[in-house]
Amino acid sequence: MNLKDREDQTRLGAAAASEATVMLRGIGVSSGVAIGQAIVLERVATEIHPRRILRTDEVEPEIARFESAVKRAADQLDQIRKSIHPEHPLNGHRYILDTHLLLLEDRMLLNGTKNAIRTECQNAEWALSENIDRIIAAFDTIEDEYLRERARDVHFVGERVLRILMGRSEDKRIDQLPPHAIIVAHDLSPAETAQLEREQVLGFAIDMGGKTSHTAIMARSLKMPAVTGLERISREAQTGDTIIIDGGTGVVIVNPDPDTIFRYKERREIYRKYQQSLMAFGKLPAVTRDGDRSVRIMANVELLDEIEIAMEHGCEGIGLFRTEYLFLGRSDLPSEEEQYEAYRRVLLRSRPNVVTIRTLDLGADKIPTSLKFEKETNPAMGLRAIRLCLSNRDVFKVQLRAILRAAAVGECRLLLPMISCLRELIAAKEIVQEVKQDLQKEGLEYDPNIRLGVLVEVPSAVAIADLIAREVDFVSIGTNDLIQYALAIDRVNEHVSYLYDTLHPAVLRLIRQVITAVQVRGIGVAMCGEMAGDPVNIPILLGLDLDELSMNALSIPMIKKLIRSIGMDECRDLTARAFDMSDAQDIHFMLEEWIRERFPHDYFVDQPQQGNERHEH
Amino acid sequence: MSMADEVITKILKVSNGLGIHARVATRIVQKMQEYSCAVTLTKDDVEVDARSVLGLLLLAAAPGSEVLVKAKGPDGGSAIQEIARLIQSDEPQG
Repeated sequence: MNLKDREDQTRLGAAAASEATVMLRGIGVSSGVAIGQAIVLERVATEIHPRRILRTDEVEPEIARFESAVKRAADQLDQIRKSIHPEHPLNGHRYILDTHLLLLEDRMLLNGTKNAIRTECQNAEWALSENIDRIIAAFDTIEDEYLRERARDVHFVGERVLRILMGRSEDKRIDQLPPHAIIVAHDLSPAETAQLEREQVLGFAIDMGGKTSHTAIMARSLKMPAVTGLERISREAQTGDTIIIDGGTGVVIVNPDPDTIFRYKERREIYRKYQQSLMAFGKLPAVTRDGDRSVRIMANVELLDEIEIAMEHGCEGIGLFRTEYLFLGRSDLPSEEEQYEAYRRVLLRSRPNVVTIRTLDLGADKIPTSLKFEKETNPAMGLRAIRLCLSNRDVFKVQLRAILRAAAVGECRLLLPMISCLRELIAAKEIVQEVKQDLQKEGLEYDPNIRLGVLVEVPSAVAIADLIAREVDFVSIGTNDLIQYALAIDRVNEHVSYLYDTLHPAVLRLIRQVITAVQVRGIGVAMCGEMAGDPVNIPILLGLDLDELSMNALSIPMIKKLIRSIGMDECRDLTARAFDMSDAQDIHFMLEEWIRERFPHDYFVDQPQQGNERHEH
Repeated sequence: MSMADEVITKILKVSNGLGIHARVATRIVQKMQEYSCAVTLTKDDVEVDARSVLGLLLLAAAPGSEVLVKAKGPDGGSAIQEIARLIQSDEPQG
């Protein structure tokens, strides 16, 4: 299926030149597919505000003008707030508008601006925009991502007052909205989002924003497909253009060709089916129809925000919590306290479910270390993940302390990535032991019985899975990397990526080898990686007796439904047949045939994948 | 020293899920309207007015951080209790 996705993208790329099709990829913040007509709300990112030095007799009237603009802005926000019906899905987010209203009363904002008008004789627009910039700059120094994002709220409030001062008091709005409108804008404030007519607006796509912006949070509550962080969609799309947005994958296509529209209409149907019927399956256990086998379905998660979504979709725990985002995009290392808080929050939110925290899985080029680092010619096989941690024990210890301490508040498992020999595992275990002793001595609360596991993703680890099993409490198979290493294929290298095949006979045998070697000792085997969330693979994964599957949260209801619809007899049969075949394509074809035949009304095969790897590589 | 001039201080640990974020800051400012005392929060030598939502957000009080709450006025004690409730419960009520 990955191969198919790639073909599709190539085709789109080719069309872009001839038919002015534009495809952009942003952050999918609210899932679902929408196909409609673009309504571009504004093109200019930041407007130039007039700057003028006032005559002394103009100062007091200017202050009065500023105050009345603030009053008007507050009236507008209050009206929007009141218009949210108690049964409206955004009712729970009314506080965002309360926050904005309080910002308009805030002395820091008001007095700072009035002082500049009075003492610097700046006109109101100038004084206000500079004051807002100063406040936003103060937010930029905040380490906590969620708190730092609140600068956007200050920005939106300031923009509203500035618009009024400049005589454009209305919110960006559209008089005649077509019935299938997709809003395209540089940015959308929470207040504007709250005013979107749900009957007419199918979704939105904006240049700015991330996963934790208030606008993104509201889109999810509205169940409105939305993509943010597109950087230039407001310049690429024209009002009236046909536009497709896929809020799961973050893909936005302007002026798609008829084929693409057809394909996305199919995808839209898949999503509709999710919403109508699949969500109920999230709450049910993943037991085969005959009751012969049950599998634990877990979620792969990176951001705190995703946990709620994962739980709503019926995850029975977090099978993979990636910690890399804590380390990226900064010049220093996150402190023990910062990491502790991050992990603790994840554990608290996931209670009573288990959370599997993977230790740092980055290359040496991505973090500031004391080591002299030379550019590696082959970073995938270089100093990364556990290797980097073992050569930078201080960094590793800080993370282990944070995880062990956080584990005191909930059920936590520790997952070590990229183990390639037993010596590494033993060394890592010794460090864990040392850290436990330190915490004990310091009298800090921690979980002394934390379960420790290895992420099997290097072929050598597969070969010694029996030896690894003696040392750990669980094993998880990381298929994304295992396939790359086993087949010697770089997935992002376009010349060889066609060889990347999840169902390669070698891959299936490697997986079987791990399961057999580990389960003999009574230890559970999990799988995390895209392979686990792809319905086509499910009969084989069940046939191989995996205990746990960890996947993108959005896939969970569908996978549970599938598992509940099939019996172990057919899984064993398909598995046996797959192991008899010598070609990956044949295996794939057989499984696709099977799924089409068994579930003719579910288009499982085209289920869009959600990219979750934007930080890595 | 009369009761009205008494300054009460207390160190509180922020223990809700997201820190003093937008919802909590908003609730603090709204709740403080019901009190007559002056209340400030201090963290890392930055002191802000408990009635300034901007100040509270800029305090950057992430979960686990400690803040010093200072109240001056007759109802200072209960104002501090209110703030403690707001920054220590995971889902601040209403």
